[in-house]
Amino acid sequence: MSEHVTTERRAVERIVLGAFRQLTGRESGVLRYAIMDDTPVGILGLSAGAAGLNHVDFVKDEDAFVERLLAEFGDRPVMRSTALDRARRELERYFKGRDLAFDLEVDLSALSAFDRKVLEVTARIPAGKVATYAQVAAKAGNPRASRAAGNALHKNPVAIIVPCHRVLRSDGSLGGYGGGLPVKEWLLRHEGAIATSLL
Amino acid sequence: MDHNLRVARLLAVHGLELARHLRRLVRDDDVAQDLLQDTLLRAHRALTRLGSGANERAWLYRIATNAALNHLRKQGRERRALEHHAREAELAVSPDTGGDGQDVAGRQRLMLWRRVAELPQRQRVALTLRVADELEYEEIAARMGCTVEAARANVYQATKKLRLEVT
Repeated sequence: MSEHVTTERRAVERIVLGAFRQLTGRESGVLRYAIMDDTPVGILGLSAGAAGLNHVDFVKDEDAFVERLLAEFGDRPVMRSTALDRARRELERYFKGRDLAFDLEVDLSALSAFDRKVLEVTARIPAGKVATYAQVAAKAGNPRASRAAGNALHKNPVAIIVPCHRVLRSDGSLGGYGGGLPVKEWLLRHEGAIATSLL
Repeated sequence: MDHNLRVARLLAVHGLELARHLRRLVRDDDVAQDLLQDTLLRAHRALTRLGSGANERAWLYRIATNAALNHLRKQGRERRALEHHAREAELAVSPDTGGDGQDVAGRQRLMLWRRVAELPQRQRVALTLRVADELEYEEIAARMGCTVEAARANVYQATKKLRLEVT
């Protein structure tokens, strides 16, 4: 990217932030977002603050996602941005099957310590492999907390990046998924964790 | 949704694009921010009246473009008034030089600039978007809230007038 473009982007962002401050009183820590509206699993909304990616959500449309962000981050300005290009590129590579692993800064600070631990354990399950809720709970330090582990996975703010879709019930059935079970099936098949013929 | 949230939503979705558009038209960051705020408040009122079916982006662009044009026109008027005063002051000091010192190219540039400032506003903004921003006609049409044909016609009329003036 040329220096001119970067300078322009900074100047333009300053203008928008100034307007945010004047019109809404929101000013601390800008939140940038992007929409991927043509993925095999539907529309994805991505957002990030200074500490990293804090949302990869399955969304109905851009408006719904922005409303969610504005409600959740009440004191912060929210703006569409090209700054999330790297996350978008990694997701595109994932969907094309070129690289199923992610190397992105993720911000889980809004979660409780146990929930965060569950997601950290989950993040280490490689593509093509699956684990059970009980296994994840045990690795997170509480073997009897498989229901709590399920709840923590349900709160995963960064779907796909933290692969909560790789966690199944002990009987091998799919369990639940925020993006819907067909999406969970698609992701697992895409990663080669379940054979197409079984579905 | 309350008023603040609605304005925040418009800013979140369209803010960057509008800020870039305004900055290119007025070439001043502070003015661009003022105009952006103005645009959002106006658009917010208009969209509240029109309901959710209206094409928000087109509305915002049209309002922003008009706000920038008003600003530039006012600025142009002020600049012309200043130039007028400056010329009078100059003549008062040295009445015998009467403009002969100015070179021909400089005078032509000034004339051209004045003609651009006096073009009808839609022609002027279409010309600016085409020449300064090098936009395609489709994009000019989207920003001005008109058809592609109308955008093309505005640019054509503007260049035709300017060419007549120069030759």
